[in-house]
Amino acid sequence: MTENQVASSFSFKIFERIKPDEYFRRFIEENVRPDGRALHTFRPTSIRQGAITTANGSAMVRIGGTTVVCGIKAEVAEPRVDRPKDGFLVPNVELSPICSANFRPGPPSEQAQVNAEIINQVLINCDIVDLSELCIDEGKAVWSLYADIVCINYDGNILDASFLALLCALKDLSLPTAEVLPSSIVQANSSMMIKPLKLRRLPISSTFCIFANPKVTLSDPTDSEENLSKETVSIILDTDGKILYVHKSGGAMCDAEMMKSCFSRANERAAELNELIERTSSQ
Amino acid sequence: MKRSDGRTEPSQLRAFAASQSLLNRADGSAKFSFGESTVIASVVGPAEVKIRDEKMDEATVEVIVRPAVGFPSTKDKLLERALRQTVEPTILAGMMPRTLIQIVVQIVQEDGNMLSTAVNAISLAMLDAGLPMNSLAAAVSAIIDQEGNLLLDPNSKELENASSVHTFAFDNTTSYNLLLSHCIGTYSQEQYLDCLDACKHASERVHSFIRTAVEKRIEKEYQQLQSS
Repeated sequence: MTENQVASSFSFKIFERIKPDEYFRRFIEENVRPDGRALHTFRPTSIRQGAITTANGSAMVRIGGTTVVCGIKAEVAEPRVDRPKDGFLVPNVELSPICSANFRPGPPSEQAQVNAEIINQVLINCDIVDLSELCIDEGKAVWSLYADIVCINYDGNILDASFLALLCALKDLSLPTAEVLPSSIVQANSSMMIKPLKLRRLPISSTFCIFANPKVTLSDPTDSEENLSKETVSIILDTDGKILYVHKSGGAMCDAEMMKSCFSRANERAAELNELIERTSSQ
Repeated sequence: MKRSDGRTEPSQLRAFAASQSLLNRADGSAKFSFGESTVIASVVGPAEVKIRDEKMDEATVEVIVRPAVGFPSTKDKLLERALRQTVEPTILAGMMPRTLIQIVVQIVQEDGNMLSTAVNAISLAMLDAGLPMNSLAAAVSAIIDQEGNLLLDPNSKELENASSVHTFAFDNTTSYNLLLSHCIGTYSQEQYLDCLDACKHASERVHSFIRTAVEKRIEKEYQQLQSS
């Protein structure tokens, strides 16, 4: 009896290894995923603000097995000549070999660069923060924020996790009051901390992946699900239901109806996460 | 309504232009322009693949974007990934396992919509290279401007005044499947679906343009063959 059980538990692991798509398909046919979730459920999400005490703002976000830490470091910089009031906000995503065997050491991978660029473009184009709030003295000195988003455990859906981590770190951000002295030295007074940045809207990202056979959409894919399906849909919404960013590529299965159902699920997710963010900030 | 470059309709696209086989050393190449926006794409493949990128059951598709000026930035990386994921499903990669399809996109002139211009250039270059494909991708961009008007195929001047920018690519099968949707800005779901619909109709025009371009070239080659 015990011998049989051992054999069968071995054989399904071997089955997963040698025929991952077929293994997965059998789960999906029963409307369940290998980790026990229903097709449209997101993994349990937790946020911890202020995880790094030496950073000016930080947060750690966990979505299931994916863990991401975002730390914001502030430096004083000279503003651009054409925008003398605006500070800088530079997001950077790091996917190092520590978080998954998929990543190699060396220069940032395409995935890391693309994620950082998406975050950057959404921040610039969607009117989320007012960079002039980072001004110390017009034309002379502004704050430059380096937001380093480091993945320490990779199990899929890095965009959602890194965006959430960045938002919570921005909410956590506090800077010393600073002024430019006549000798043009910037003096910071760290006994008087202020929260300079107000988020104008709260962009929340939701990612889905689409399977061709059978044709289903899965919310919040894990690493193995991402590897099996090439077609993904990422939607970033704010809490008023305005859409900020949609990216769909990698296949030809998705139609307008599927997009609509993804939108409504992204809306639900945004409401849910908004509540979670409110709860963590009030603690 | 008059647009900044003299177009009279919001749904009017700029003039298309295309030429094929303009590079001698590549397996296929094409130039495609929407008005002033011009892109050259070259396709090499199936060729030898680096062991690290080798896939046992299909071809590896690689897209490289070269900007018009300066070195490639992360913006071009984003473009590379979007292009690769758009054209990859149209290639029958399973017919060429353990090989590499290398697509190089050189931006020649920028006047908005580089993503959609590049998709169309790559499609035409892949046809020129004779790659096995199951369908053909064609892309069109649209914007919603500050006043809420939907404008197809915006130029860079109109893009400055856009509240959201949408790019869609479709294949040319009977169901006209959505291959790519890349939309950024602030917009509602209705506006998104309006843009999707408008771009779908406009991409039919791009598909038929690509068809005539290829037909004309083959006709010309046939005549040259007969006269020689």
